[in-house]
Parts: sequence; C-alpha cells; structure tokens
Amino acid sequence: MMIKIEKVYKKFGTLEVLKNINMEVAQGEVVCIIGPSGSGKSTLLRSLNHLERISSGRIIIDSELLDERKDDIDVHKISSKKVLEICAELGMVFQRFNLFPHMTVIENVMLSPIRVKKVDKKEAEEQALELLRKVGLLDKKDVYPSKLSGGQQQRVAIARALAMKPKIMLFDEPTSALDPELVSEVLEVIKSLANEGMTMLVVTHEMGFAKEVADRVVFMDNGEIIEENIPDVIFKNPIHDRTKAFLSKIL
Amino acid sequence: MSDRMVRIVEILIDSFLPLLKAGLAFTVPLTIISFLLGLMVAFIIAIIKVLNIKPFVSIASFYVWIIRGTPLLVQLFIIFYGLPSVGITLNAMTSAIIGFTLSVGAYGSEIVRAAILSVSKGQWEAAHALGLTKKKTLFYVILPQAVKVAVPSLSNSFISLVKDTSLAAAVTVKELFQVAQQITARTYEPLWLYMEAAAIYLIFCTILTFGQSKMEVWFSRHMAQ
Repeated sequence: MMIKIEKVYKKFGTLEVLKNINMEVAQGEVVCIIGPSGSGKSTLLRSLNHLERISSGRIIIDSELLDERKDDIDVHKISSKKVLEICAELGMVFQRFNLFPHMTVIENVMLSPIRVKKVDKKEAEEQALELLRKVGLLDKKDVYPSKLSGGQQQRVAIARALAMKPKIMLFDEPTSALDPELVSEVLEVIKSLANEGMTMLVVTHEMGFAKEVADRVVFMDNGEIIEENIPDVIFKNPIHDRTKAFLSKIL
Repeated sequence: MSDRMVRIVEILIDSFLPLLKAGLAFTVPLTIISFLLGLMVAFIIAIIKVLNIKPFVSIASFYVWIIRGTPLLVQLFIIFYGLPSVGITLNAMTSAIIGFTLSVGAYGSEIVRAAILSVSKGQWEAAHALGLTKKKTLFYVILPQAVKVAVPSLSNSFISLVKDTSLAAAVTVKELFQVAQQITARTYEPLWLYMEAAAIYLIFCTILTFGQSKMEVWFSRHMAQ
C-alpha cells in the first residue's frame, strides 16, 4: 500500500472535521475524493504531508510511519527530517498554485531538486526542461509566474511537484481556482500522469474527470467517508442517500 | 546691503565648506556604517523570531524592548560616558556607531519580521511540500519576497538615521551639527548657522530620497511578482 490511513480523527478546537477515516491507496491507483465544501477532503489530503496534524490515528506512506497521534499528542515522535523525507516522496498541487513569484518558471521547477536532493544544476535543468515539455510550457521557461494564465501556472506547479520524482501525487482541488475555459488543459496533464501509472489522490469537484480517470471514488460528507466504490457505482447507483443527495445537486 | 547682512553672508560662505566636510567625513560614514551593521542585526533578530530559535528568542525580544523603550540620546550617553566607569572606553565615533547600529537593528527587525509575515502562507506550504526545511524555505523562498516588501520602510529608516546622527554631536563626534555648534559659539549667529546646517541635511536627504525611489523601481522590476 502506498497510503494507509487508519482511524484518523481531526479536531479544530471542538469542531470535529475528520471522524474515523480509514482508507488505503494502492500503487498506481487513482483515487478521487468528492464531497461538499467543509466535508474534510482538503484537511485529509493536507494531513498526508503534515500541513495539518491529525488529532488521533495513524498515517503510513509507502511503509513509512508519517504520523501516529492520540488526542493531539504524538504517540511516536517523527523527526522533522524524516517528515521532509517522506514529503519529498509526495508531490502536492494546491488550489491556488503557490508558485514562487520571484523565480522564473524553470527556476520554480529546479529549486527543490537542487536544494533538497542536491542534484547538480545542469542535470536539474535538463530534467526541468523535460518536465516543462511534458506540461506543454517549454516556451514559457524564462517567464515569471505572474505573466501566466491560471491554467499555465497550475501546469508549472505540477511540473514543479514532479521534479522531486514523487511516488505519489496529491491534488487539492487543482482546478477550482481556474476560469472554466482553463480547466481542461490542467485535467489533461493530470490524466496523462494517471495513464503513466502514477499513484494519485485527487480532491476534486470535476465529476466528469473523476468518472473518467478514477479507479475509485470516495465520497466524504461532514468529516466522514460515506461510501467508496468504482466510479460507475458511485455515479450511477450510489448506495447512500447522502451520496445521492450530493450528486443530484451537482450533476 | 547693511554691514550685518554682509557679515552674515560672509560667515555662511566661510562655514559652508567646513560644514560640508564634517558631513562627508562623519555624518555620511556614520550613517552608512551604522545602517549596514544595523541591517545585519535586524535580519538576524527577525530570523531568530520567525524561526523561533529557542534560546535566542527571549534575548532578541529583550533587546528590541530595551532599545525601543529608551531614548536614543540616553543610550548614546550610556555607551560613551557611562561604560568607561566599568572599564569599557570607546572613542566617540565607535560609541556612536554602536548606538545607531543597535537602534537600526531593533526598529529594522520589526520591519523585516512584518515583511516576512506578509508573505502568504501558501509559499511556506508549497516549499514544505517540496521537502525544503524551514531554514531553506526562509532563505530561498520567503526572504527574497520579504525584502521587496521591506525596502520602502527600510529606506525610510535610513533617511531618519541621517538626521538622527546629529545626536552624535552630544557625544563629541565632530559631525555636521557639532561643527555648526562650534562655529555658532564663535560667531553668535545661531539662526543662520543652524539654518545652513539644516539645508545641508536637506540636501543629503533629498539625494537619498531620490536614490530610494530608484531602488524601489529596481526592486519592483527585478523581483517581478
């Protein structure tokens, strides 16, 4: 298993945003998480690289313990060095891109291989060029992010995450901040990654995309996993009433 | 022209060069050296606070509290007139540089810290997700963006410092204002001499303000957002 989430709870003060989450993602699997806003989808995703700390439960990434806590106290103290090592295996793409505005496109992509993996500059550059070709932005390599459209920025963000050669990619509503006409160019890139066998966890509101790409769809509501199944079942014959209600509103 | 007018004009002309020289020999170096050292202190203090480097955070806060809560003139007196009684004797210029450096460091650290905090949280998160440590994130991602935010405020402190250096006259540094005082004592024309001194400060600050706006343009162009 690439990702194992066991009995995870998360509280913000008295508000319980994750309730007994259990989930596994196998190598090469593409899992889409859907659900209404505030259902805890993003929080769950962000727990997988310590951007949020869980309150209780256990998270294992590629057989390495990332977090084990009970009532907001570490059961096992994981060193920050270890956390960053595990983070480097997880590529993350954010809703708001979060590119580094003071660096050109290629510098954005080269930063972490050079500074974290100590790859030499020449090699990092070749690899960055290859990744930019892959996301179709080779001609923008020396441009600053502010000169790019949202869709282009998000594709750069994907290339930047891939530069660390992650084993797993996490997408946190990657198209939610985009103008409608820019959504498909980003989804195409994500699809091509799926076809290459990348393990992916995607929080999304794009039901068409989830239908087409996901091996499994997880529906979350109010901090709980309500049901999970192959897309055909979730979208055509959902078992749970809450899933039906949500889908009828959105489709 | 009356005799008095002629005399005043003569005094102003005769004193212009000594005043300018004092400005160039003491005021300008005092400002520049104190500012550069102060900036280093400011960045170190701000980084200690932002990264919450445990044993030093309270020392840093204590330092900022003391310097911001006491008058600069009093600090200068303590350094120059006070320290000799515990065996630390510093010459006037060194005392002034230390005093101004500490002052720039304390106020500047708050400017730099605020600038660091103004960089969006998403930048820290993206860097963390890429595996960068907090330290590397700060140096490669956050500080370059924070500097751009801090430049206008820091240039303001620089211009304030030019004028504050006149306080060094009180600890016997032969800077512009001290020389003006000496000439006044000889000629008994305080109004005209202090006006002349003020005019020279004004010239310095005008040049610096011009440089500041150039620098801001440079930063906004070369640190494209």
